[in-house]
Formats: sequence, C-alpha cells, structure tokens
Amino acid sequence: MKIQRLMMPLLLVVLVVALALPTVALGQKGANANRAISIDGSTTVGPIAKAFKDYYERSHPGVNITVSESGSGNGAKSLRNGVCDIAIMSRCMKAGEFKAAGEAGFQPVAHVVALDAIAVIVHPANPISELSMTQLKDIYSGKITNWRQLGGPNMDIVVIGRETNSGTFASFQELVMGGGNVKSDSESVGSNGAARQRVQSTKAAIAYVGLGFVDRKVKALSINGVEASPETVQSGDYPIARPLYMFTNGFPKLGTDLHRFATLHLTEKGQEIVESIGFVPVTRYK
Amino acid sequence: MNLASRRMMDRSFTVLGILSILVMAGALLCLLGPIVIRGVNAFVFRATVEHRQMLAEKYGVGDREAVKRELAQAEQHRTKIYRMISAYEASLEDESYAMRREMGGELDELKDRLRDLLGPFPGDPDPILMREQYGETRWDRALVVKDEVIFREEYDYSDPSAMGVLVHVPRADTFEGTSLAPLFPYLENHLSDILRPRWTFYWRFFTTESYDAHFFGGIWPEILGTFYLTVGAILFAVPFGVISAIYLVEYANPKNPLVALIRTCISTLAGVPSIVFGLFGLAFFINELHVSESKSVLAGSLTLAVLILPLVIRAAEEAIRAVPKTYKEAALSLGAGRWRTICTVILPAAMPGVLTGIVISMGRAAGETAPIIFTAAVSAGGVVALGETLSQPTPALPWNIYNICSEHEAVNEIRHVQYGMVFTLVFLVLLLNSTAIWLRARIAKRLRGA
Repeated sequence: MKIQRLMMPLLLVVLVVALALPTVALGQKGANANRAISIDGSTTVGPIAKAFKDYYERSHPGVNITVSESGSGNGAKSLRNGVCDIAIMSRCMKAGEFKAAGEAGFQPVAHVVALDAIAVIVHPANPISELSMTQLKDIYSGKITNWRQLGGPNMDIVVIGRETNSGTFASFQELVMGGGNVKSDSESVGSNGAARQRVQSTKAAIAYVGLGFVDRKVKALSINGVEASPETVQSGDYPIARPLYMFTNGFPKLGTDLHRFATLHLTEKGQEIVESIGFVPVTRYK
Repeated sequence: MNLASRRMMDRSFTVLGILSILVMAGALLCLLGPIVIRGVNAFVFRATVEHRQMLAEKYGVGDREAVKRELAQAEQHRTKIYRMISAYEASLEDESYAMRREMGGELDELKDRLRDLLGPFPGDPDPILMREQYGETRWDRALVVKDEVIFREEYDYSDPSAMGVLVHVPRADTFEGTSLAPLFPYLENHLSDILRPRWTFYWRFFTTESYDAHFFGGIWPEILGTFYLTVGAILFAVPFGVISAIYLVEYANPKNPLVALIRTCISTLAGVPSIVFGLFGLAFFINELHVSESKSVLAGSLTLAVLILPLVIRAAEEAIRAVPKTYKEAALSLGAGRWRTICTVILPAAMPGVLTGIVISMGRAAGETAPIIFTAAVSAGGVVALGETLSQPTPALPWNIYNICSEHEAVNEIRHVQYGMVFTLVFLVLLLNSTAIWLRARIAKRLRGA
C-alpha cells in the first residue's frame, strides 16, 4: 500500500511525459515512417540539402527528410555502413572509400548537384584584396607568415584551415597545396560556418570556405586576378573550383522519393534553389 | 592563540564565506542574465507586418483579412519607395553608358538591401527560398538592415601599415542630387509605418516546426527530441542502475575482489569523456547491434543511458547505504525476507536519494551534445512521432545550438533562434530538476510522517 502511494507521483510524471507529449506529436503528423530519407555529410553541401529538404517536404507532404552535417568523410562512412540514404560530399569519394563501400556490398553513385568555388576569405578590414596561387600556397605552407610580406600591415597571419575530415580541406589540399603539407601551427576548425566566424572576429585571419558561405562580413580574395563568383566558376576561370556531390547507393529506383530527391538539382526549381543559396547550378536553366 | 586573534580568524572566515557566496551569485547572474534576456527575446519581440503575413500564409494562423488590410496600409508607404526607384531607373536610361554602369551597380546593391528589409519588389519573380519571400520579421533585425540600407560599410585603407578602418558612408551621398536622394530620409522617418512593428508574444516558437533551416518558425522538434532522448535515457538507465546498486550494496560480498573491480570500473566509467560514449554508441549500438538502420532516438537514448548509468548507480548506492541499519534489522526480525525487506523498507527509504541521482543525471542527459552527434542528432529534421523513435533520428536542443552557432550559413541573421534554444534548454533542465526536487520533498515528507 505504502509503496504504491510512493510510486504514484513518479508514475504520474512518467505517464505524462511518455504519453501526453508524443500524442501531441502524433496529432501533428500522421505516422509516415516509411517515406524517410536520411542525409549525412559535408557542411558545405549542407545548406543545399537543407533547402532541398524544405522544398521537397512542402511539395511532397508525408516525406520525412533529415540532414546531418558531420563532414564529407563521415558522409562516406555513413553510406558504407548503410546508415544514410544520401551522402553529401564536397569532394569525390576516394578510391579507398569506393573500395570499402564495395566490399560492404554498397555501390556508391555520384550525383553532381552544384559547382562551388573555394573562396579564400579575410576580414574586410584587411587591405589585401588579391593573392596569387603561389602566395596562397606559401601562406598555408608557412613560407609567408606576415601580411607585410604581401604589402599589407605588419601583422602575423592567423591561418585557419579545416579538419582532415572535411571535403573542402581535401579539395584545397589537392587544388592549392598540390600535395604539400599545411603548416603544422595552423588552426583547424570543424565547419565552413566556424571558419567564417573565425575570420569575422579576427582581423589578421585567412580561411577558405564554400562560395555559399561568403557574406558581407568577410571579404573573398581574388585568386590570380579572378574574383570568386558564380560567373567565374561557371566560366571555369576561378582556379579553386570543385563540384559538390550527393552519393546514393546504386542509382535510386525510378519513381521513388529518393530518386526524385537525388535528381532535384536537375529540375528548374532545384537549380534555382542552388543559385539562391549562392552556389553554381550545373546547367544554365534560364 | 589568544581570544582576540581567534575571533579575528573567525570573523575573517565569515567574511570570506560571504564573499565567495556573493561571487558565486554574481557569476550565476552574469551567466543567467543574458541567457534569460536574450532568450526571451526570441519569442517576445516587436514583430513586423512581414511576420504576421508569414504566419498567415505559411502556418494559416491569425486573421487573414486583418493582415491583408495591414499590408495594404504598409504598402501605401512602400509604394513611394518603389516609385522613387523606378523613376530613378528610368532617369538612368538617359545617362551615359559609364554612368549607367557605375550607378547601376550601386542601385542593384541598394535594391538588394531593400529586399532584405521589405521582401521582394512588386513585379519580382516569386523567390524560391522562403527567407527571400519575406522582409524582416523582427523589428530589432529591421533596424540593423535599415542601417545597411542607409549606410554602406566601407573600409578606409589609407594607412598601409595598419588594418583598414570601418567607415559608414551614407548612401545618400552616392545618390545626391538624384531623384533617389529623398528615399533615405523617407525610409528613416517612415520605417515604422512601412513595417508596422507590434509587441508580440510568439508562443508558437515552442510549438511549431521551423521553415527554411530555422529562418522562420519554432523549435518544437528540438524540444521534443531532447525530451525523448532524456526520458529514454532515464527509462533505460534507472532500472539497471538501481538494480545494480541494490546488488552491490545488499547482495555482493564487499571482500570479493571481483566486486571491488566492478566498483572501480563504474567509477572509471563516470570519468570517461562523453565523446567516447558517442563513438561507442555509433560503433556498438548502430554499426554492431543494428538497433536501428541509421541514427535514431533509440540509439541516442541507449548511448546516453550508458553515459549516465554510473551516476545513477553511485547515487542509488549511496542512498541505499544511508538507510539506517535499524530499518533493515527491524524488517528482518519481523520475519520479512531479504527481497521483501528491500522492496518495502529499504527502497522507499532510499527513494529521495535515488531521485536526486536521477535528477542530476537527467540534467546531464538533456544537455549532452557529444554522445548524440553520431547516434541521434540531425541538424535539420521534423517532428518525430513516438512510433518513429525506434528508427528515426531527431533534432535536439544541445546539438542544434552548436549547429546554428557554428555551421549554419546565416548565423548572424538567426542569432535569436540560437538564444531562444539556449534559454529553452536551460529552462527545460530547471523544470526537470524542480519537478524532481518537489517530488523528493513530497516523498521525504511522507516518509517522515509515516
């Protein structure tokens, strides 16, 4: 008797929490667990995936799409482990990743959703507005350590890089460093947003981010005299450009939500979304 | 030591004590003050007519007719701006090519800033992103954007030995003498007619899903996700934790080296960094056991349960140990068996202590980010129904706070959402704690009274 009395309030709380809240949730949305798409990977492609999700869920009610941004490398791993339907990546899968996926019984298929420039950004107060590829490489390899060497003020350059898990890091490594190593005392941050914020708050900093992450609070430098913009990426003039990918396991079955989602970037609406966010659509749709 | 110096010591210790309490209170105030003030600002703010239009169109709430009337009134004041711009555009046609090129660029930038403030111009194609379909929905943001319309941020690089200096150049200077010049004072003076701000208690912030990656709408999926994860972790951890504690105290032989080893292991487990639990959860629950196909609430709850298990065990152990021996002896001497004694005497008496442990671990589970990164949390996702918790991942407050402040593409525009989430998380944890404290007090009172 006594123990029952004691347990009453406890049980009440558990009941309220376990029953009341989820019923509210159930009321908000019908049970539609089957039509779910889970997306994992690059923080660069994240804004595209999130905007696609928003658009797709509104035009196809009942589909539940989730987006995690944990880095391109993680996206590839998730696809191989079968824990996501689409891996968004800002670099192509490496040979090793293809092999690992194949051995696990998966067959990654690439969909190029957009083109992107890796914009090199500095604080807008920085008078430098242009770098050559060699200068950029020298900054990241540690040969140039002060803005004065580039004609700027006498301040040590705060070099912001990305973690090795990042696809943007891999692309930068390949396109700019050419296999050379980034200097060991550079700072590594976990996402494009973090890199931009670091530059926003540090006058002497330099970092690289996807084109969609450049806003008015930072200044994108011209590289070899070419400014980073959708036009120069599309024309092929900007030297640090790369495609952005979605990987699926096999080509998605026609007519499924996964198929429609993974080919959304080929539709006019999809390309309009890509362009509105600040990336470069794969075709000229207008 | 003589009496005077002893009193001295005593007094100085009192002063030190009071001082440290004051410092603590100050620190708490410094921490909680901004959280509360900025957090409340996420849902109590001056909403513009754009906000009400968005609500009416996307969520179907509010009086549509009233919103339409209000929009029409705002439109009256906006038309003047649009007219000034089209008049200026027309006058540009007659200028030289160089002039057209130069001023055209300036004009485009001005128009973009105005679009940020007022939404698309009449005649613009319908933008595909929701964030571009509406102007500023919040008055505080609108004031910032208004400044961006009126001033252009430029940097003065004239001193080559130093970083540039920020200067605000009035755009009115650029357009001086043209038909656009009156636009700037007009905007400054009529901004509240144009946007019609009104104090709003936006309670839907807590009950709706977000639109367009948290630009609009609320944080309900995050709140619900945090609830699921916390409750799930408690549901898994408490039975195991309490049973282990009973076994360790009542049944296990304290001299057995194996039991000592288990105790050490539990203490060690309590000190393992949470990210390790996150990776363990990914590797064990998802990749090895396949409790779900991908990240899920279930996998996240299990991981969090493992994380808080040592806390629960230790608290329960202490609580059971603290039950006076006489209780047990009395029960046993009345002929009750061991099991019956535990169920009817020891556990109820230990309940307040066990609850304290549960409270502390609940707060911990609700606030942990690292264990759920790989096992449960997503940065964008909808409401998860109860039946879907076994297979679906969910957004959760701690992870989304981190995600919005570090990874989101438009951090500066949606700071208020981040503050709102922080406030909600702190409030949730406080709520959980106070419920349990209240519960504990009730139980303790009954125990004393009985």
